[in-house]
Amino acid sequence: MGIVKASDVVYEYIRRDEEGNVEGITTAIDRVNFDIAPGEFVAIVGHNGSGKSTLAKHINAILNPTEGTVWVDGMDTGDEGSLWDIRQTAGMVFQNPDNQIIGQVVEEDVGFGPENLGIPTKEIWERVEESLRAVGMYEYRKHSPNRLSGGQKQRVSIAGVLAMHPRCIVLDEPTAMLDPSGRREVIRAVRGLNQVEGMTVILITHYMEEIIHADRVFVMDQGKIAMEGTPREIFSQVERLKELRLDVPQATLLAHELKKRGVVLPDGILTGQELADALVGKKRGQG
Amino acid sequence: MLRDITLGQYYQTDSVIHRLDPRVKLGGTLLFIISLFFFQHFPGYVAAALFLGIVIKLSHVPFRFMVRGMKAIVFLLILTVAFNLFLTPGTELVSFWKLTITWEGLKTAAAMAVRLTMLIIGSSIMTLTTTPNNLTDGMEKMMRPLRVFKVPVHEVAMMMSIALRFIPILLEETDKIMKAQIARGADFESGNLLKRAKAMVPLLVPLFVSAFRRANDLALAMEARCYRGGEGRTKMKPLVYQKRDRIAYLCILLYLAVSITAGRLVWMWI
Repeated sequence: MGIVKASDVVYEYIRRDEEGNVEGITTAIDRVNFDIAPGEFVAIVGHNGSGKSTLAKHINAILNPTEGTVWVDGMDTGDEGSLWDIRQTAGMVFQNPDNQIIGQVVEEDVGFGPENLGIPTKEIWERVEESLRAVGMYEYRKHSPNRLSGGQKQRVSIAGVLAMHPRCIVLDEPTAMLDPSGRREVIRAVRGLNQVEGMTVILITHYMEEIIHADRVFVMDQGKIAMEGTPREIFSQVERLKELRLDVPQATLLAHELKKRGVVLPDGILTGQELADALVGKKRGQG
Repeated sequence: MLRDITLGQYYQTDSVIHRLDPRVKLGGTLLFIISLFFFQHFPGYVAAALFLGIVIKLSHVPFRFMVRGMKAIVFLLILTVAFNLFLTPGTELVSFWKLTITWEGLKTAAAMAVRLTMLIIGSSIMTLTTTPNNLTDGMEKMMRPLRVFKVPVHEVAMMMSIALRFIPILLEETDKIMKAQIARGADFESGNLLKRAKAMVPLLVPLFVSAFRRANDLALAMEARCYRGGEGRTKMKPLVYQKRDRIAYLCILLYLAVSITAGRLVWMWI
């Protein structure tokens, strides 16, 4: 069993009217199964309302499944007794950077998690330093979070989770409120964690460019995992992605359109560079 | 810019007073205020003024910043002085129209004015030299004994520091909502008081909604980071008394002793 495992997970939102009577039931997650290995970089994509954020909240035991079970490092998230161990094992970064920074100084915010865990003072300082260095925010440790850019704030949030020494980090649309340069900053930091520190990363996003570097991609639709595979396998099915109302990176789309017009190209081109190489290679081959 | 707002009135510089433990400053200010009301005679005031003068000198905060705090109480000061001046019975000094100024009145009024001035300056030294954060930490630690009486000391301190963190964010948001409403034709500037108060409704409603949403998000984020109240929590920056703090306590006690004995001595002579 991997670090995070879900089996037959169902989650239902019960809608109530003003008197508290049940009006209807919305199934946000519908029989989801997955098994994530330690050190893996998994991306979960889907359009709004596909259930991807709800799924993320299950990994941190913020929500409990209506049916089925989620295991984090062998612990059942439905078990009250291991709640805090689960939250320490699977750290979570949320969408809005302003609403998850508690400290008035960067270093104090990063220290918040370890303080809650009852770590001795000396070790808190070590953890804060190492976490801030891992996301490249060490120079800003004395700054007020209010004066940082969105990307910087989000990196501080990631450091705040890292300082708790989780084995797995879940990022719930961490880039949704950022500008393109902030998005790049955050994604670079996340990739660094995965590759350098070997951290298990579960990235929830709706920006398709961000999933290119993932080991595995889950595409969610109406609470179900509609597609699963490597980014290359996913992006080779452009028509299916369009059906699921998802964007495709420009290079992939261009390659797809060229292929439709009869240009022979390999499947699943992800970046502009790859497309350029493939086209140049063809020309050389002809000439 | 709204985000540049400083809370309280912290004056950033480096001095002995700035580096003192917030508990020393809180306790010292409290003792100083009490001492002001302890003595009745002239030497006591001289001792208090001297002590205050030395602390001001040590704090490296320009004097005008402390005077700034006085503005808020000018009205109260005038009122107190006036009441004491005209309403104290005793030996008559001057009398005009229906008002009489007595010798005793003059004395109490002057004493009151000096006391209030020193009280305000004394407490503004504390807020000028302590960051709000430090102040909350100090209060939390000082109030800890109250936990015996089920006072949620940690929770209150946590609420205070979160409020401090969110004030600039909410101010910025107010600014944004205001601009959005102005763009839709809202008018916040003209009309009488009632009209202006009514104009605030479209500002306050979205602000409240967003504040609640933020509070909800923040609670979730705190829980996700294993926050479960003050029990079993360690501190990243624990307050530990240093040598300078002990010396400061000694100085405060010395001041108390001197000011009280000075007051008593004169009283015995008379």
